[in-house]
Amino acid sequence: MARARAGDLDAYEILVERCTAPAHRAAVLLGAGADADDVVQEAFVKAYRQLGRYRGDAGFKAWLLAIVANETRNLVRSRRRRDGVLQRAGVRAGPEPHEPDPAETAVAGERRRFLLEKLRALDARDRDVLVCRYLLDLSEAETAMTLGLPRGTVKSRTARALGKLRDRMPVEEVPGA
Amino acid sequence: MPEQEFDALIEELRELGRAYAVPEAADQRQAVRRRLARPARRRPRARFYLSAIVAALVVAVAVISPARAAVVGAFRRIAGIELRQETARETLPATPSPIPSIRDADLAEARRVAPFPVTSPAVLGSPDRVLLADLDTTGAPRVVSLVYLGGTVRFDQFDGTLEPAFLKTAPNAEWVTLGDGAIWLPMPHPVTYVGRDGVARTETAHLAGPTLIWATGSVTYRLEGLTTLEDAMEVARSVR
Repeated sequence: MARARAGDLDAYEILVERCTAPAHRAAVLLGAGADADDVVQEAFVKAYRQLGRYRGDAGFKAWLLAIVANETRNLVRSRRRRDGVLQRAGVRAGPEPHEPDPAETAVAGERRRFLLEKLRALDARDRDVLVCRYLLDLSEAETAMTLGLPRGTVKSRTARALGKLRDRMPVEEVPGA
Repeated sequence: MPEQEFDALIEELRELGRAYAVPEAADQRQAVRRRLARPARRRPRARFYLSAIVAALVVAVAVISPARAAVVGAFRRIAGIELRQETARETLPATPSPIPSIRDADLAEARRVAPFPVTSPAVLGSPDRVLLADLDTTGAPRVVSLVYLGGTVRFDQFDGTLEPAFLKTAPNAEWVTLGDGAIWLPMPHPVTYVGRDGVARTETAHLAGPTLIWATGSVTYRLEGLTTLEDAMEVARSVR
């Protein structure tokens, strides 16, 4: 870490190697879809340039994920705008290249698919805390860092989001629980 | 613990996370290293241009201000494009001729013969036409133009390390953050092509629609025909 901060690209490459998979997974789950690799690359480049600002509070990974989350948000926003541009320019937006989501087919089980659907239907703020806390298995501190929120907010929002999600799920029948 | 009442749901979410198969991530090591190694050299240059522009503006303001409130005659330059911030005085030729030695090609050919990396805005899909202009003796073009949406949108790219290739005259221009520096020209404005020999071809002057100009690395881009800055930026960001 210290060597990377001093501008050692070999040292940084070790961090890149170690963090590519979790960063990519976070980007996909936060909504980057097929552009996740681009998001990750951009995040690594930005992270390196901002290493001077890294404080080490919640680890490099969480700090990188904050940049990934931010890039993903920008991407989602610009996708919406792009669709607008194309409509105004008289071009019909083609089908998104990443449909159907590979996870759609990979996630087995009716209930799990239903849960994913309901999770997606939450607003972004609620969805993101649940994705970070449970799907990505981040701690409260890491989630706070990733989403740029105070820890207290992560706590309260997680509880609220879980409540909303539960209300939308059918009564549970856990087979073999 | 408020979490207790949600234990079952949390367990389901964790399980969903485990079951959610994500495609394998691309190895970013080389790409990141390449990108980090490159722009370090570019920075000082961009800053040099900016300070040169600021200096030019300051001089122009100092000289002209007492007489005229508006900044007239100041010029700005983004690698390969010189922008004169003034109202055009000469009238444009009635029948402008195109940039010298234009020929049609396709993207693959343009990529092969151009002396710089040829890119295209992903948002616009595939171009209607690809034009190579101002070829040198080996057939390498100085400018590659992609034409979209039935000719209403035009995307020019050229090696910006050369002397200015386009001369633009516009009274209003707006600095934009993009690449190593960018300018948005919202109003139609005259454009003159400056040939390899440094001679301005006034016969090539034509009135360009709203245009976004920016430079990344050594390549300069010119995107003409999108009416709002937001749309132009959207297209520009999709260039790869």
